[in-house]
Formats: sequence, structure tokens, C-alpha cells
Amino acid sequence: MGRRVLITGVAGFWGTELARCLERSPEVEYLAGLDVRPPAADLARTEFIRADIRNPLISKLLPQTRVDTVVHCDVLLVPEPGKAPEQLHDINVIGSLQLLAACERTEEVRTIVVRGSAAIYGAEPNAPEFFTEDMAGRFPFRTRFQRDIGELESYFENFSRRFSHVSVTTLRFQPTLGTAIDSPLTRYLQQPVVPTQLGFDPLLQFIHSEDAVGALEAAVMRPVRGPVNVAGPGSVSLSRLLRLAGKIPLPVPAPLFSTALGLGGRLGLGRLPPEAVPWLRNGLTIDTTRLEEEIGFRPRSTLEAVEDFVEELHGRRVLPDLRAAAIGNAAARNGSRRRSRSRA
Amino acid sequence: MTQDRPTAQRQRARRLRLDTASERAVAPEPMPPGPPGSPGAQPAAAAPLAPPPPGAPPAVAFDFIASLRGAIAHGADLPAALEGAAGALPDSARDVLERAARRLRGEYSQDEWGFDEEFVEIVYPLFELMYERWWRVTAAGVQHVPAHDRALLVANHAGVVPWDATMMSVAILRNHPLPRHPRFMVLDWGFRLPWVSAFLRRVGGVVASPYNAMRLLEQGHLVMVFPEGSKGAGKAFSDRYRLQRFGRGGYVELALRTGSPIIPVAVVGSEEIYPKLGESRLLARLTGAPYFPLTPTFPWLGLLGTVPLPSKWRIEFCEPIDLSEYGPEAADDRALVFELSEHVRETIQSAVYDNLLARGSAFL
Repeated sequence: MGRRVLITGVAGFWGTELARCLERSPEVEYLAGLDVRPPAADLARTEFIRADIRNPLISKLLPQTRVDTVVHCDVLLVPEPGKAPEQLHDINVIGSLQLLAACERTEEVRTIVVRGSAAIYGAEPNAPEFFTEDMAGRFPFRTRFQRDIGELESYFENFSRRFSHVSVTTLRFQPTLGTAIDSPLTRYLQQPVVPTQLGFDPLLQFIHSEDAVGALEAAVMRPVRGPVNVAGPGSVSLSRLLRLAGKIPLPVPAPLFSTALGLGGRLGLGRLPPEAVPWLRNGLTIDTTRLEEEIGFRPRSTLEAVEDFVEELHGRRVLPDLRAAAIGNAAARNGSRRRSRSRA
Repeated sequence: MTQDRPTAQRQRARRLRLDTASERAVAPEPMPPGPPGSPGAQPAAAAPLAPPPPGAPPAVAFDFIASLRGAIAHGADLPAALEGAAGALPDSARDVLERAARRLRGEYSQDEWGFDEEFVEIVYPLFELMYERWWRVTAAGVQHVPAHDRALLVANHAGVVPWDATMMSVAILRNHPLPRHPRFMVLDWGFRLPWVSAFLRRVGGVVASPYNAMRLLEQGHLVMVFPEGSKGAGKAFSDRYRLQRFGRGGYVELALRTGSPIIPVAVVGSEEIYPKLGESRLLARLTGAPYFPLTPTFPWLGLLGTVPLPSKWRIEFCEPIDLSEYGPEAADDRALVFELSEHVRETIQSAVYDNLLARGSAFL
């Protein structure tokens, strides 16, 4: 008997891409997608259910689908500065509560996969370099978004304690890199001049957008209990990231950084959420042993994710590659020598 | 997983030592390599007539600009002119430029901790100068540092700014037959400071956390810890060379859990570089520092006050203490951990006293 899967937030990038992956899988017998608007892409065999996750009505809808797996993608992981924090809270926390209530009513549910965020660990200067899953809550939550993520995880944790026959997996994602993704981070990295904090060079970690969806699929296929970190192994420092992308860093003294971001936002440059300020100062890196060993999914490394992203961006390079042309590499130099010799 | 391979280590030794050897050889001998006649025959007469050595920066820059202007005057566009002028540079200057360009494109390696070996080799000559000329370090027992696999270096800590960690690294890089870069644990306050945090990460510093030390040891690194912590670095000048309490013995637990040998290291000389006569609680609170030292020169002379005094140093790497007989479960045995920790502390303390006697005068 095949799996019956429901995806919340199917109109978003994550929901749509995951639905596409699962449609191809012969193990999945039935696929349903829940959202307030229909997905932009054509999905072949996903049944679209138009419903608001915040509406108590879904407690009536969900049991009718008789799904055994619920993938909760309708979580706003990247707080958009344009969106009110209350709205974010509504979607992340109230929506999750309604979904859990609906899961309680659905007897067949055995697996819940939640798209969470590594922001739950916090970007602190005295943090261990590679957080493992049991280290959440070592530092107090500093922003509204962090508190929401923490609250959301605690609801799912309580649920799995109360209903031990359901395995709940929370995937804690690092920021996703991919030009298909429109997030404050990708917009920040696409600016010609990128503000950084003077004297700080944080270690960052990313996940390739394809691997992010792949990790969700792997977690659906091979559910484990509890939180799992999802990131590309390794790390990259911000300065190296900007050099690889050919961007010009604009160092701003750290205390003025958030003011500078606000000013930049008013001038039409990309805006960043308040979480980004400590993140771009202290960095945040996590350990991915559990993802690789228990779920059995090995994503591309952070560096590969960055290189892919940069390659896609390459057409938008601001500076001509003068430096490379001027100094050249060994091959180019030998080539020019050969050329001059043949001319002579 | 061991990070270092013997061939890589041998290459590293050749790179680091050749650099300094060639500098030493060239400094008193400004002859360019290659002119006919033996360079040692009549250096005094030949030197003024010989063309400037290929490494002289002003002449190189002048030639570069001249050829660039020439090319542009002949109608070449800027990238082509730059390429032509760069091609005419001497090899050494071109290598430097090439490396700078490559680094500016982000093409260098960096491990997951942010350690950048190439960067370390760029700043290494400065630290070697401090090692050799400023503090005239004598190192002994470097052969006790294992060439491969995990090991824990445990040292006494002094001198406000952790110069001792850098000098121990230089001692290993200069004298070990198969040198490797140790990683060192730094008080998290260092990672709150601009520039300092970025610099520390690049040269192998890691936030002092047992999780970090554990991961580094499991990856097969050489890890340096200072169990005295800020109590050691911030003690008064009158308490010099008296080892403070070794924390809670966490480093012994780490060594037991990971099966790493402990190499006690005694550092003498670091206590005199910033003689701490007093401290300011108010300034410490204002800056968020664990302590704010007042020395004869700091903060009175401003930045100049941060120049360390030229004391004479000795570093001794003692015989490794093998803990593999106890097994990883022994890490939960508090009594054993304290006993081993005390043993390590006493080993270091007695080695410190021995070296203190052997050194004699602190500055001469």
C-alpha cells in the first residue's frame, strides 16, 4: 500500500518543488496540497485543496483525506521586513496549532515533517561552532521570529510526546541559496555593494535549494523522531563569499549596521530582517551528522552551494574582471608569451 | 580522520623554512643570482655596479608603470596593457600579485573552522621575527609533539594577550620534523571584538568550548588549551609563574573521551611581556572584558603600550601522558579526572621552575 501525503503551503516554492518530487515517487499513492492560492506550476496528480491553515475548518478537511503523512511547509522561515510580525506569528504559530489539532482528528497520521529553521540556535559569539540537535535553547531567544520558531517546535514536540505512534521530524534549515528563491538573503547577495560589519567575518552555512527540497523528501521517505539539522557540510566566511560572488563589501561599524540597513532599505536596496544583524556578525554553523547518518541524505557542501549560486548570478557581475585580466593565470600568461613570440 | 598527511607536512616545513633561510641569505648579500663570475669573489666592488636585485619594490613598480604607460600610449586597451606589463614583471613580484589576485577572487581554501593556511603563511614571518629577535625563544622537546593524529597540548597561560599560543605554534612549525598547525582555544571575549575575531579564526583560533575541542580532536587535530583561562592570563605580576587552579579538569575529560595523549607545555617569559600591576574594574565593565590590566605602559601610552616587553622566553614540551589505558568511560570518574589534572598541573609547574632557573635574567 502506498503512502498518502499532504503538503501544506503547496503554492510556495518549497511546497511546489516537494510535490513535484513526490509525484515522481511510485511509493506515494495519493498526494494532496493545501494552500490559500493555487500553485503557479502545473502539478500532475496533486489534489489541490483550497483552505486556510489558520481556519479551524481544516480539522474537518484533514480526516477526509485519510493521509498518513503531513509535511508542514506553510511556515515563513524568512521574516520579511515588509510583513508585520503579527502576521508571521499567525501563520507560524496559530497555523501550526490548527494543523496539529487536525492531525489529532486524523487517525491514519503516522508521520509529520516540519520545515523549521536553524535560527532557533541563535548567532552568538560564545556559541560552540557546530550546533548539534540537542543544543537548542542554550541561548535566550532574542527576536520575535526566534520565539515563534521555538514555540512552533515546542508544540510539535508536545504532540509527539502525547501521540507516541506519530513520528515528528523537525528539519532545522540553514538559509537556502538559489537564484530561483526570492528571499531577503538572495536579494542581499545580489546587490552590487553589500554592507558588512567592519572587522567581522562570520562563518556562514547554506543549503543548495535543490538539496533543501531533497532533504524534505528524504525525511518523508525515512522519518526519524525529533529535530534534524539541514545544511551543506563545511562553512564559508562572509568575506570569501563576497569575493567569490565578485561583490564589493561596504564595511559599516557594527553598532551602526542596523541603521545602515534601514537606510539602504529606504533607498531601495535590499532589506534584511533583524535576525541578520547578529548572524552577519557572529555567524551560525550546525552539525549535519544526524541528517547524513539517520536520514541518509548527503547534501552538497556549503561551498558547492555558493559556487552554484555564484555561477547562476555570474551574468549580473558588476565589476569587469579586471583583476583576472591584469594578472592573468599561468596559462594566460604563457599564452600571451606564445602570441608575442609568434608575432615576432 | 587525520587532517595532515606526511608529504603535506614535509612540504609545509620546506615552505616555511626555505622562506626564512633565503631571506637570511639574501639580506647581507645584495647580489642578483645569475651574473657571470662567482658572487663571493668581489662583492664589494660588484655590488654598486650590479643592477638592483629583482625584488626591490620601487624599481619593480617603476618598470611596471613605465611599461603600462608605454602600452597605453601605443593604443592598447587597459586589460591588455595590464596583462602585458604584468607579464614583464620579475617572477617573485608576479607570484605575489598572482596570489593577491587569486585571494581577491576568493580562490583559497578554508576549513570548516575558518582556518586559512595560506593566510597563516603570509603572517608567519612577523611571528617568526618576534620569536627569533624579540623574545629569543629557546624551545625544547618539540619531538614530544605527535606528528599525526589527535593530541592535546596543555600549557600555562600568562601575559594578558595570548602571545604564548602563537609562540608555541611557531616553535612547532620551526623545529618539528613534520610540522602541523595547532588549533587553540580562545576565551569567547576575543570573538566579540572586531578584527580580532576575524584574525583569530583565520590563524586557527576557536571559541573555548568543550564541544569545539571534542570535534577538533575527533577530526585528528592538534589542540592547544590553557586550563587556567583568564585567571592565568589576568593574574598580577607578583603572582608570576604560580599556576592557578586548572578549571574543573574539563580538558582531562576531553582527552579521556577521545583517547588523546596530553602533552604538558611549560612557557617561561610570557609573564614579563605585560607586567600587570593593577586592574581597573570600571574599564573592564565598560569594555565587557574579563579584566582590564594596568601595566607600566598600558593604557598610559595608548597603542604603544600594547607593544610587549622583550623578555627572554623558553618553551618546553614535556613527555606525553598517555591516557589510553583508562578508556573513554573513565571520563565520568571525577576523582580520577581531578587526580590526572593535578598531575598535569604539577608537571607543568615543575617544568616552569626548571626553565625559570635555566633562563636566568628575565630580559638579557
